[in-house]
Amino acid sequence: MFKRSDESLIAKALNGDQSAWQQLVNRHQSALFYFGLRLLGSREDANDLLQDVLMVLCRNLGQYRGDSSFKSWLFGIANYRAMDMLRRRKYSDNDDELAEMPADSPGLPEQLASDRQQKQVQQQLRSLPAEQRLVLELKFYQQFTFDEIASQLAISSNTVKSRFYAALDKLRLQLEDDHVEQSANF
Amino acid sequence: MSNNQQIFEDWLDGKITDQQCATALQHDAVWYGRMQNAQAIQTDAKAPHFEAVPDFDSSAIFAKQWQRPKPQRSWWPQLSLALSCAAMLISLSPAKFQLQDGSLTLSWQNSQNEINNAVSHALLTYQKEQQQWLVQQLDTQQQSTSSQLVLLKDYLQDELKRDQRSDMLQLVEYLNQQRQADWQYWQENYQPMQAGYRPASNYYSPTNTGVVKP
Repeated sequence: MFKRSDESLIAKALNGDQSAWQQLVNRHQSALFYFGLRLLGSREDANDLLQDVLMVLCRNLGQYRGDSSFKSWLFGIANYRAMDMLRRRKYSDNDDELAEMPADSPGLPEQLASDRQQKQVQQQLRSLPAEQRLVLELKFYQQFTFDEIASQLAISSNTVKSRFYAALDKLRLQLEDDHVEQSANF
Repeated sequence: MSNNQQIFEDWLDGKITDQQCATALQHDAVWYGRMQNAQAIQTDAKAPHFEAVPDFDSSAIFAKQWQRPKPQRSWWPQLSLALSCAAMLISLSPAKFQLQDGSLTLSWQNSQNEINNAVSHALLTYQKEQQQWLVQQLDTQQQSTSSQLVLLKDYLQDELKRDQRSDMLQLVEYLNQQRQADWQYWQENYQPMQAGYRPASNYYSPTNTGVVKP
């Protein structure tokens, strides 16, 4: 089936077409919700972020000029709101809450190994500073280029890479530490 | 940018395979570790999500922001405009509604013929008025001329009479002068001669009352 472009849906929504708006939301709300879930750590916060971003998006829909992809523009809003929420709610103090998050998988035996690795990765990601976690999130989970991330965060591409590699290094160190701990347990 | 960083970024962009990248970076522990971590995160990113996205009624915020209530459309202005246009068309077209004796008649008038008739009628009226005026003018002229002729005749007659009288007076005067002159000539030339021929009593003696016979 023919899929309308984001730009076409925006143009229709700006003319008051509610179904176009709904299509646009349906297309991006999952990515926004999981982005919030990974970054903020709870369903409530992710839901708040999703609603907040959609409200801001709805208010500023007419300001999208098409200079970048719509998704990149949308995540520019989402990044700003998420970082704002992290600052206000002092997310780093609530790591315990993140640790108590239920596993994504319903627990099928064949997925246990994979789940264990995912859980480990997610736990380590949560322990990173917010700016570094955000860069990894945008790079690996949202598939943005370094230039797009730099544009969204209004920083230079080199700064983005610097945060990216610093995050990978910390993650590596932590993974190594985890590996050592696991080896010691055995 | 180091060569390893370039290789790593090429791998991130999908330009080289995992195997090629691993082979190229295996001698550099830092970059190889980064690659392994990145692979672990990529695996996590590709894993399906089982967390349900909460329902959120985004249509309400959209309706509040972008949808305007549809204006209550009134047909009166359109009807008024349509009737005005119809009235204008009827007034401009040759069609003519006529209410006569309680019945409405639609007639298709020829405006050109009406104009021609009106022009002919106006011209005819003008022609008649002009003719009447000319007749009046001629009458007036004739009356004026006649009265002037009468006056001229009277004047001429008076003048003629005066001239004739003057001529007669002059003639009478002339005749009297001539007679006087003849009488004087007779007295001077023929009376003495007469007196010499016969007695005075034998001669006819002219008097004031006539001739006295001798």
